[in-house]
Amino acid sequence: MSAVSTSLPEISPRRRRTDKVMRASLLVATLIALVPLVLIIYFLIKEGLSAWSGSFFSTDPNGNFFGNPGGVRSAILGTLEMIALATLIAVPIGIGVALYLVEYGKQSAFANLVRYFIDVMTGVPSIVFGLFIYISLVINHVGNVSFAGWKGSVAVSLLMLPVVARAAEVVLQLVPDSLREAALALGAPRWRVVSRVVLPTALPGLVTGSLLAVARGMGETAPLLFTAGATFIASANLNQQMNSLPVQIFTDIASPRSAVVARAWGAALALVTIILLLNLIARFVSRRSRMA
Amino acid sequence: MHEPRHQFHENLRALEAQALDGLDLVIQQLDRSLESISYQDVELAGMVVADDDRIDGRYLEVHQGILSLLARQAPVAGDLRIVAALLHVIRCVERMGDQCVNIAKLVPLSGYEAPKDKDILDAIERMGRLARSQVSQAKQAFAGRNTELAQDLVRQDMEINRLNREIFRRAVEVGDNLDLREWAMFMILVARCLERIGDNTVDIAEQTVFVVTGLFREFADASNPPETARTP
Amino acid sequence: MIPPETTSKEQTDMSTGGHSERSQSPLQASASPPPANKTGHGVTVKNLNAYYGSQRSIKDVTIDFPPNEVTAIIGPSGSGKSTVVRCINRMHEEIPGARAEGQVLLDELDVYGDGVDVTAVRRLIGMVFQKPNPFPTMSIFDNVAAGLRLTGTKSSDLRHLVERSLHSVGLWDEVKDRLNEPGIGLSGGQQQRLCIARTVAIEPEVILMDEPASALDPISTLKIEELIDELKERYTIVIVTHNMQQAARVANTTVFMLDGEVIEHDATSKMFTNPTDERTERYVTGKFG
Repeated sequence: MSAVSTSLPEISPRRRRTDKVMRASLLVATLIALVPLVLIIYFLIKEGLSAWSGSFFSTDPNGNFFGNPGGVRSAILGTLEMIALATLIAVPIGIGVALYLVEYGKQSAFANLVRYFIDVMTGVPSIVFGLFIYISLVINHVGNVSFAGWKGSVAVSLLMLPVVARAAEVVLQLVPDSLREAALALGAPRWRVVSRVVLPTALPGLVTGSLLAVARGMGETAPLLFTAGATFIASANLNQQMNSLPVQIFTDIASPRSAVVARAWGAALALVTIILLLNLIARFVSRRSRMA
Repeated sequence: MHEPRHQFHENLRALEAQALDGLDLVIQQLDRSLESISYQDVELAGMVVADDDRIDGRYLEVHQGILSLLARQAPVAGDLRIVAALLHVIRCVERMGDQCVNIAKLVPLSGYEAPKDKDILDAIERMGRLARSQVSQAKQAFAGRNTELAQDLVRQDMEINRLNREIFRRAVEVGDNLDLREWAMFMILVARCLERIGDNTVDIAEQTVFVVTGLFREFADASNPPETARTP
Repeated sequence: MIPPETTSKEQTDMSTGGHSERSQSPLQASASPPPANKTGHGVTVKNLNAYYGSQRSIKDVTIDFPPNEVTAIIGPSGSGKSTVVRCINRMHEEIPGARAEGQVLLDELDVYGDGVDVTAVRRLIGMVFQKPNPFPTMSIFDNVAAGLRLTGTKSSDLRHLVERSLHSVGLWDEVKDRLNEPGIGLSGGQQQRLCIARTVAIEPEVILMDEPASALDPISTLKIEELIDELKERYTIVIVTHNMQQAARVANTTVFMLDGEVIEHDATSKMFTNPTDERTERYVTGKFG
């Protein structure tokens, strides 16, 4: 028996070179993409952090030309209130649409049509939603007011709806059919299969998807301009004009007063921080569910 | 591309060939033992006794092969029946080999220059030829899965049984010569061995029918006269 | 040098006749007498045709599944064996575009009759699947109770029923101290037994098993087979398997299907020692598959 040991061919020098070039160019591309991100964060912190103070979070903007311009309390509160209402509208409806598509519609013609429309809606610019609500609700003074917080919520919810529906559909489809089969084979009616098995299993993914939709909705300025209007005062009454962070930033940044401009940066930093926190929570929830 | 379980069926075929070739060895032994009886050839008889080891060895090999096949391949249906039948067949081969040895061992005992009775010797030789043809036919029947050929063995076996009875009768009437009588007694024993060989071939015939039909019916033989067992 | 006596042979008829013979084959060593009072429920599939869209996958199939016995259905892939079983508890129609025609009788009741409630049928005819599928968000206890809760039966006796179920599948001792842990934390074999416990908790009359052990290791497989042997005392069991040795070990009667038709249906021992049809012979000896 000849004793020839196994040997492998050597890597050619040309291949080594190609490998290195590839790695280098991908690294460069990554750095190029990172640069603006890093710059944004840098500027936000540099310009915005100085505006943060106790009064920044506890006082309302006061529109004065001189003296203390005030904080952004009403903007933060307004954003939170309107987004909360928008979430309340968009999430249940969005999940409902997804449930219909996955559990009942499946591949029917109607279901595919719905899917198409949802895809289209994700592409619609947010300002269009704002205009739509403006024309339908604001001009006609629905609810006896022109601009109102709740109308802003509706506009934002329209924006959030396709995001929630899309994400929810993906997550619901990930629920293995074998679980549905198991529940059906036990003699459960389909609605119970959905409520007791499918939804609980998909829950972490649904939460993540909803949080991401919320983060998206928070940052939109255009729809709020035409619907919620702008005001300085904080209020809990959604049936009147309401302030919001994006709108506040929008108006402040054009001001000739440097203190107001600084406040705009501070507000921008606050907004980004809130969104960042929401993203972190979404990540945390999905990681928890994956470990279970 | 081979059919699935090709290797298994190859092994089964080889095992069957090994078992059936044992019948060729039996024929060899039978020929020699009968020759040694006819010519009082003690040396030849000695060879028969020694060569039985070959048959015993084959028995062990086939037996081991069957166990191995059962353990590893889990044969079912037709394959299972073949394997079960081969166990019987190789046992029959081994017994027939033993009968040949028994015949050979009678040669030195029956005396070197003993007187012989021509009629008895003729009958023995006829029995021997019949037994030989039965063994050969049994091999053919099993290998060819031929139930008619198997059936026919019963008919031949009845002839052997008849000859056996005839030899016994002749031996009883053989006369007063002590040596002759003693020789005749030994011939009765030889006839009995040959008759047993015949029975074993009928066993193989029964196994042939079992492999083909899945039914096990006992053919008519010495322990089971034709009146009580109707063959299918 | 007297040659040994030839022993007399007993006459043994190795064929056990058609499937009308319910008694045990003479080949089996322990001859226990058939139970006097069978309170079991039999299933009869009559002239069943099943379609996926326009394609007919089951052609005029009629099979009788005797009560309190294990019947195995074997056959190559695509023979329709899984489809038959899914038609029995009407899971087949859950597939879009699929439908079934014919009768499936549970005792005297036609499961496909007019006005029959599908969910009620499935409570009487349970199913265990190939891949164990415990509900991932539920604990071991909740999984077993799931069948009871999903069918709306409010039971103050839940704890007792769950315990009884787990006992009947031989899982109680292994899980009694961790009933609140997630069901998916168990091993594959335990998960499958958990699914069986979930099925028997609602006390069906028939249990259908679609290749219940094919995803499990050999030891778990043998445990499941032993469990099936015990379960048949209380339920009628139909098992689809592509493992012929399993059918041979576990089933009283075996059905061989090919291309959507029943080719042979007989006592298991006959099917594996002397099948009648040439195609059955070729399939079980592995000459095709």
